[in-house]
Amino acid sequence: MIHVQSLRKSFGRVLAVSDVSFSLPKGIVAGLLGPNGAGKTTTIRMITGFLTPDQGTVTIADQNMNADAINARKNIGYLPESAPIYPEMTPREYLAHRARLFGIPRNKRNSAIDHALERCWLNEMQSRPIGHLSKGYRQRVGLASAIVHNPPVIVLDEPTNGLDPSQILETRKLMHELGQTHTLLISSHILSEIQLTCQRIIIIARGKVRADAPTDELTQAQSASPSCTVEILPTSTTPDPAAILRAIPGVKKITRFSSTDASYTTDTWHKLKVDVDPDHSNTGDLRESIARAAFKSGLLIRELHAENVSLERMFLELIEAEDSPQEIQ
Amino acid sequence: MTAALAIATREYRSLFRSPAGWISIALFLLLTGTVFSLITFQPGSPASLQAFFALSGWLLLPVAPAISMKLMSDEYRVGTIEMLLTSPVSDVSVIAGKFAAALGFVITMLAPTLLYIIVLIVSADPAPDPGPIVAGYLCLILLSCLFLSVGTLASALTPSQTLAFLATLFFLLGLLVVSSTLASANLPPPLDSAIAWLSLTRRIRDFATGVIDLSHIVFFLSWSLWFLVLATAALTMRRWR
Repeated sequence: MIHVQSLRKSFGRVLAVSDVSFSLPKGIVAGLLGPNGAGKTTTIRMITGFLTPDQGTVTIADQNMNADAINARKNIGYLPESAPIYPEMTPREYLAHRARLFGIPRNKRNSAIDHALERCWLNEMQSRPIGHLSKGYRQRVGLASAIVHNPPVIVLDEPTNGLDPSQILETRKLMHELGQTHTLLISSHILSEIQLTCQRIIIIARGKVRADAPTDELTQAQSASPSCTVEILPTSTTPDPAAILRAIPGVKKITRFSSTDASYTTDTWHKLKVDVDPDHSNTGDLRESIARAAFKSGLLIRELHAENVSLERMFLELIEAEDSPQEIQ
Repeated sequence: MTAALAIATREYRSLFRSPAGWISIALFLLLTGTVFSLITFQPGSPASLQAFFALSGWLLLPVAPAISMKLMSDEYRVGTIEMLLTSPVSDVSVIAGKFAAALGFVITMLAPTLLYIIVLIVSADPAPDPGPIVAGYLCLILLSCLFLSVGTLASALTPSQTLAFLATLFFLLGLLVVSSTLASANLPPPLDSAIAWLSLTRRIRDFATGVIDLSHIVFFLSWSLWFLVLATAALTMRRWR
């Protein structure tokens, strides 16, 4: 449905998007994730045809954006980040205008507008000027205008930005519903948002795709080799608990949380991080072995948990790694 | 075509919801009405709308830029341009629709002045000569085309309405002043005919006497078209930046 091939765009000397390629099949909800300034909006603007890329091609429902922009744009419903709408119009007037622009025949316009208003919970607000509506309602009008012509592809740039928690829940529900019948591309800088709504995650940073995989796969890949955090009290017979832990099969490395060794005396709690050796046969959950080892040596434990290496961490690693900000030479 | 019409309709309605639109209409009708009742509609004065047309021509100078200034600038400022340029609409249709809305607005503004003609026909004993009246209205509409197309170009170049207004006004004033001062100066042969060709005032004077010359019509329309082509190019350039 959406096919993006080596997109590149620069503004003056700043390279906003250097190389973005991905391909989304029909009926998928995909998330475009990246920090602010990663090139998300620029990428989306090239996909929707607002900006012409310096290089690369965009194909929407088999229509090439460079060759036949008008037909390609017909297949997209787009909600830009700030949901810009003519403030003097009412939601109903605005949707009627959009329906005309997208060439919906006159006899089908009213039912299309009613349907969009209903799906976005706008029925009571349909005849108030948009300029008088709250940010949440304006966002909904933007959403309604993205679906009024029932396009196969829907692109939403930061759809929950600036909404209150209950509106975020409603929007999430709507995105889930739309995902059943449409191909959705949603951008966000909030990982949990994307993780909840999207089946696939494309991580973009500094103008490049850093990861592109199904959400489940990314989550699983991260939990394969978890580490443990343990807080343990030494005794006079065992002044160095780290040595006991190091002896457990499958342990790769023990790190102290405090940077100074001075704080680790025999009568204070030692907070240690236990890393798993991924090559050892005894990988996976080490908590039981740690508890048994401590019990055998008569050591007290007051905290023991498996570190949940979240997507968040990987996200941070991915976007912080590699090259510094780019400039065209 | 449907899309251009949709854009024109929306823009036309929004011009009526903007203060600049209403103020333009109100001041225009107030001033032309005053001139009509104080100068034209007097016992003994000839039954012609000369004074009205002369004033209207001058009034168009600030009024046309005031109408055209928001056409594209407002889309850039509010950000709605992103919705417009991602709709299945060609850039030509966008500019054509916007221009048509502005021209429609000016025509709406001129419509109530037809009342002056009715008043003249009813009250004046030698009925007014229809020639200069038809030519006068045609001239006003052609002038509006030219002024509004310059305004559309200015508006397509900047998100600031003020800048679009001033740029249009000064360009049009410059065009009028330069062409009329140069026309009165004695220039050598190839230059003087070029200036005479460019001169708006000469063509307006022809219309005022009731002469409808095809070359004048072509002159105004082709220049308007040219400015609209430039405005379309300015819009397309924004996609490249």
